[in-house]
Amino acid sequence: MHNSKAHIWFIAPAIILMIIILIFPLFLAGGISFTDYNLGNKTFEWVGLENYDKMFNRKTYVKMIWATATYVIVVVPISVVLGLCAAMLLNSLRFGADIYKTIFFLPVMATLLAMAIAWEFTLHPTLGIVNSFLANGCGGVREFILGFHWLPWVDSQESWYAVACANNMDFPYWLKQKNTAIWTVCFIGIWQAFGFNMVLYLAGLTGIPRELYQAAEMDGAKSTWEQFKLVTWPMLGPTTLFVVTITTIRTFQVFDTIEILTKGGPSKTTYVMMYAIFEKAIQQNLTSIGAAITVVFIGFILVLTFFQRYVIEKRVHY
Amino acid sequence: MEAKQYIGEGWKHAILIIGAIVVMLPFYMMVSMSLKSQQEIQSISGGLIGAQETQTFPVCVKTGYSEDTCTMKPYQYNYWFAFEKAPIPRYLMNGVIVTLSIFIIQVLVALPCAYALAKLRFYGREFVFSMVLFCLLIPVHGIALPLYVMLAQAGLVDTYSALILPWTISVFGIFLMRQFFMTVPDELIDAARMDGMGEYAIVWKVMLPTAIPALLAFAIFSVVAHWNDYFWPRMVITGNRDLFTPPLGIREFRGGIDSDEFGPMMASIVTVTVPLIVAFIIAQKRFIEGITLTGMK
Repeated sequence: MHNSKAHIWFIAPAIILMIIILIFPLFLAGGISFTDYNLGNKTFEWVGLENYDKMFNRKTYVKMIWATATYVIVVVPISVVLGLCAAMLLNSLRFGADIYKTIFFLPVMATLLAMAIAWEFTLHPTLGIVNSFLANGCGGVREFILGFHWLPWVDSQESWYAVACANNMDFPYWLKQKNTAIWTVCFIGIWQAFGFNMVLYLAGLTGIPRELYQAAEMDGAKSTWEQFKLVTWPMLGPTTLFVVTITTIRTFQVFDTIEILTKGGPSKTTYVMMYAIFEKAIQQNLTSIGAAITVVFIGFILVLTFFQRYVIEKRVHY
Repeated sequence: MEAKQYIGEGWKHAILIIGAIVVMLPFYMMVSMSLKSQQEIQSISGGLIGAQETQTFPVCVKTGYSEDTCTMKPYQYNYWFAFEKAPIPRYLMNGVIVTLSIFIIQVLVALPCAYALAKLRFYGREFVFSMVLFCLLIPVHGIALPLYVMLAQAGLVDTYSALILPWTISVFGIFLMRQFFMTVPDELIDAARMDGMGEYAIVWKVMLPTAIPALLAFAIFSVVAHWNDYFWPRMVITGNRDLFTPPLGIREFRGGIDSDEFGPMMASIVTVTVPLIVAFIIAQKRFIEGITLTGMK
């Protein structure tokens, strides 16, 4: 024990801040969620589980859970797999890997809000280059490829592309249409996230000793796929676990793209939880229902990370 | 064999180039729109930079500038008008003030704590460390609402404090620095003590310099996260333009100023987005290291 009491001054600010900023709000949210308190009210009443009851029974909130779940379930696996594929491709290149790495990492760095607006214009039905690119491709190679005409079971007159071409270039209004909005937002989420996963996987790949591949080859695993199954994938276990967890947590928190592009619509198909908290609690001043959503949200995150830390962690570490 | 390998390499590049084009699309759109005239944007013509014909801009004249002032090339007009319309330097300033304050306070709080957790033996150390581990699980955005209620009760909504306070504690920073300090040999600290240095001096004069690489990575991590953060400022800044951070500014450009003129709007967005991207391209390695820092074991 050195110099007595110095440690108290070292840890006290951190402890006080942790309690005020991180721990107390958990209890505050929990407390408010059992009341009818709205910001600005002088008094409040305890209402028990009423807010939670609303959450699981009112259509809006059921849609909220659906939208959040859809977003997470689509974005996480695709961005993780894309990240892994990109990392393996880059790792096997002879030249040029650094340029691709920079490009794929740009979306991670760039202000998401600005990029959301850029995407809005890119996907705009009359101003955007995507729809003009599609319209110019009617009857050509683009229609064949993107209309999936190369799949034997797709009728080249009935594909979505052919129908749009036939109906006076009626291509989707990606962000405003009920059947495309959530997928478009998911796409932007994937676009933004996969570069981050790629970099983590690249780091993971450099950690695999070359000898393992030679050993696998001697054991008869000649093809790339067999080597991947035998060596790469198992060795990347811890990386994958980490990538999946961190991507899930980030994905749960999606807000910027929703707020600027869809405002939760059309008809609540993109009404994700963070946006719901913002809309209910801040814009409509329904603090207590916002608190209930917060509690459920935090619950999801805590369960997820605990699961990662204490259940799966034990199995993937070699 | 040789030829086959070249073909394989070619295929890989083909796939990656298509990917790169998709990734770059919005960046292309953003830069292109910020350079072109309104007519070119609406007719999707002119390629990346447009024809750049000198012309008089009607919206500018309507705003009250003389025709002479309003006659220039589209790219000049877009950027000039963007700065005329919104206090962009102010937004950038706010971004710098907020991100730097957050980072400095985070270090002032985290560094001594990390040192104590790594190198000092005291009663309750394990408890404090497990508290840090628990707090690592709490996403600050997730508890934004109760934090907002607290700040509102304290009358701090629409102030710099509201933008900075919730981020002053970085449990991740504490955790990271602690792991780093664990690797610093005890002899170094003992030697410093023999020289008569106090614990405070040890933290700032011995530990801080050794932690520079970790600190730099943490700085990038922290600055990028808070420069780009939109959710929190959106919660606590309701209307005071003087406190707008860059993302709030971006939102305003989109909704407020002449939404029928896209050039100046995109010019503002490019201006606000560019500093970080340029910094990234210059110091790529460090940035990637810093942002993926959370991936370190």
